[in-house]
Amino acid sequence: MSEDIESRLRAALRPVEPSEEFSRTLLMRVTADRSSQSNGRSHVRRRFKAPARWFTASVAASLLVAVGIQHHLQGEHERESGLEARRQVIEALRVTSQKLDLAYEAVKSQSTSLADDQTGA
Amino acid sequence: MNDEASAIADEQLARARSGERAALAELIRAHQRSVYSLALRMLGTRDLAEDLTQDVFMQLNGNLKSIESSKHLMFWLRKVTTYRAIDHLRRQSRLVMTPLEDEAQFLSTVDGGDPLLQRHLRSLLLGLSPSARAVVLLRYQEDLDLVDIARTLDMPIDTVKSHLKRSLETLRRNTPGAASTRCRDEST
Repeated sequence: MSEDIESRLRAALRPVEPSEEFSRTLLMRVTADRSSQSNGRSHVRRRFKAPARWFTASVAASLLVAVGIQHHLQGEHERESGLEARRQVIEALRVTSQKLDLAYEAVKSQSTSLADDQTGA
Repeated sequence: MNDEASAIADEQLARARSGERAALAELIRAHQRSVYSLALRMLGTRDLAEDLTQDVFMQLNGNLKSIESSKHLMFWLRKVTTYRAIDHLRRQSRLVMTPLEDEAQFLSTVDGGDPLLQRHLRSLLLGLSPSARAVVLLRYQEDLDLVDIARTLDMPIDTVKSHLKRSLETLRRNTPGAASTRCRDEST
């Protein structure tokens, strides 16, 4: 009786093959993983190449900083030129105003003396 | 495995250990059936079995240097597969349902015998505790003796015997043909 259930179990539990598709995927994944493990040297090589990449990056960064500084200085220069022009305009307005005051004073004193002459006559 | 086959398997393992991809592929092809079948009968569904099989071979790939011989390799694969399956089942701690598409695969592999009875036995197997299931599978699918089962599952041999006895009783009690045989036996 025990042999009966045991032989039935053996028949029911015969090993089964996985699907072809799964077998292919499994082989691909495991062997790919193996390749990446055995490529330790290329990691080392990449590490040695790393400084070259850092050099390129630092040169690019320096260029960017230089362009930025130049742009900033140019802006400063333009701002100073603008301020100078403004100062000159104000100065010109001040001089003009003084001249106009003088002219006004002259015209005013002249008209006052003319009026005095007419009343005296 | 006879001596010649064992020597060939050892040589294949040595080539795989040295990084030869073709040897690793041969090794996977040689053992995927056993690992996949164990995983399938432990977990009950094809998707879970495929995931587990892949995990086991990925782990093997990382541990290949520690594998000493082809016999050790078989022992290692069975041990890791059953341990990981038991671990998964304990984490899930729920009844595993068998989808219909997986049943079609189960049935297609049967040659001879009553397919319905075999299907019934496999579904009964999924009702056993994870450890008992592993014991039954290692005994009747992998054909290991009790000492090897105890070594594989890190279990005292008496525990293996007790799991096996109780599992067979459960399967017998719930199998219509076996129960009737028992009644017949008892009546005579």
